[in-house]
Amino acid sequence: MSAVAADRVRKTVLVVLGLVWLAPVYLMIVNAAKTNDQYGVMSVWSPAGLGGLWENASAAWTRGDISAGIASTALYAIVAPLVAVVIGAAAGFAIVALRLKHGFVWFVVIFASTVFPMQMLLMPLFLGYVETGLYDTRTGMILVYTVISVPFAAFVMRNFFSGVAHHVFEAAVMDGASTWRIFWRIYLPMAVPALVAVFILQATLIWNDLLLGLTLTQSAETRPVMTALSALQSTYGGSTMPVVLAGGLIVSIPTVALFLFAQRAFTRGLALGQY
Amino acid sequence: MTATAAPPRPPTSTTRPARRARAPYRWSARGFALPAVLIVALLLYLPFVWTSYLSLTEYNGLGDPELVGLAKYQEMFTDAGFLNSLRNTLFWVLGTLVLPVGLGLFIAVLAYGLKGSFWYRLPFLLPYAISGVAVGVIWTFVLQTGGALDEALALLGVTDPPRWLLDSPLNTFVMIGAATWQGAGVNALLFTIGLQSIPKEPLEAARVDGASGWTLFRTMTWPMLTPLTTVVVGLAIVGSLKQFDIIWAMTKGGPGVSSETLALTMYKDTFVENDYGLGAAVAVFLTVVTVAASVLYLRRQLAGTRES
Repeated sequence: MSAVAADRVRKTVLVVLGLVWLAPVYLMIVNAAKTNDQYGVMSVWSPAGLGGLWENASAAWTRGDISAGIASTALYAIVAPLVAVVIGAAAGFAIVALRLKHGFVWFVVIFASTVFPMQMLLMPLFLGYVETGLYDTRTGMILVYTVISVPFAAFVMRNFFSGVAHHVFEAAVMDGASTWRIFWRIYLPMAVPALVAVFILQATLIWNDLLLGLTLTQSAETRPVMTALSALQSTYGGSTMPVVLAGGLIVSIPTVALFLFAQRAFTRGLALGQY
Repeated sequence: MTATAAPPRPPTSTTRPARRARAPYRWSARGFALPAVLIVALLLYLPFVWTSYLSLTEYNGLGDPELVGLAKYQEMFTDAGFLNSLRNTLFWVLGTLVLPVGLGLFIAVLAYGLKGSFWYRLPFLLPYAISGVAVGVIWTFVLQTGGALDEALALLGVTDPPRWLLDSPLNTFVMIGAATWQGAGVNALLFTIGLQSIPKEPLEAARVDGASGWTLFRTMTWPMLTPLTTVVVGLAIVGSLKQFDIIWAMTKGGPGVSSETLALTMYKDTFVENDYGLGAAVAVFLTVVTVAASVLYLRRQLAGTRES
């Protein structure tokens, strides 16, 4: 088989498989846009214009508490990773630039905590949150999301700073800069690409979280959006399938958009995190 | 694993001339590392210990936990629901190895080197940005009785399709399919990164020697991908052990407990049945399995970074 023919076969297989992959997305969009009457009589595979999209989306938005969920989750997904990357970068800075004693051990201690399944944490977090009044509060959610983001941030930032020559640090010391200043003015700005990559990955992770929201919140004001969507879906005695699909569409748009626009940072984050 | 004695260390004074120089920053180094260490200790390690303790108690969330030794583990291992959940978890692990990892490799190898390969991979990558819950919503719609798949099958003349989400273990298999839809693309991306890092010269040499296609892949590309494959496989296993969202959104572990995995059983035992001791025992068991699986790839990950 010639190289050209082989390439053509490869492309055909990829395109066919790719279309199969896109089919569920097609189904979601087409049916989220159907009015109830259309959904009742038409094949789910045929499109019916966008007649019902607005109606379904606003039904999901108001009835399913998706709006409140989006507001809370936006807050969680911005604040928590922001705090976490700074804390993680500080740890990386301490280990690499300041040569923290037993730095590698501390690094392993911080990073190894990512190995535990969340199930190991749920019960004490729930009991502790109830005890301290953090249960069902936005502060509590920001705190827990920050915590789960720190190990990965520390991992990536330590690796990033390991690639920085140590005379950068020594030169800054010669110039009389304090460690605090060196961190904020030299190391942190230098690490912006890595920080952005970590931020995007962690923000996506938090946006998509179900389990912590399920365990640590209950009211519409604090409940993250995926937990709200899950509730909307399971109680669809009130909500029709098009409404649930419209809800699914709404909550997916931010992460898909972020992913498409920040594809490079996404890929870099994955590459940084998994080697 | 066999314990090997550490090689004798040379006196530290000769190997670490920098030690004296690090002293001036001892306190600021501790200061910078403190927030991360404190937060991880307080909210990750302390809960870890607490759950381990609770697994040795009878506790319903009210009053005080009462120590019962290993009774909860005994209860767990004789519980039919748990054993079913263990079987499903095994399906998830094996299924994840074959499908998202295998398919990811397949896509990466097919697209690698093609003009516009990014665009060929994009449809697979897109679902990765969609949450587990939304993936569950979409696939429930596809697989529910009389849903999109059944409708498509009817056009092909299949009038009596399987009850995808209602029969066990079929419901677990189709949910692994949904997870594959979500996860194959990212594995393809990781394998692509791996393929790009393979040196070109040996491949060219093999090609000149007449190797091509499958032979080239089997004898040259695959062995050179091994380090990366270890990481991808490790992550996939750990991910499948932790899988909660898709199952919760599609079946909630049901009908009954038929599609539960350990991750769900723990949640239900604790927060639905209020049997904290049993939930904790399941959590500890799940953690032991996960940690064992993680050691596979973590060692390599950490070894890789230690050099740098």
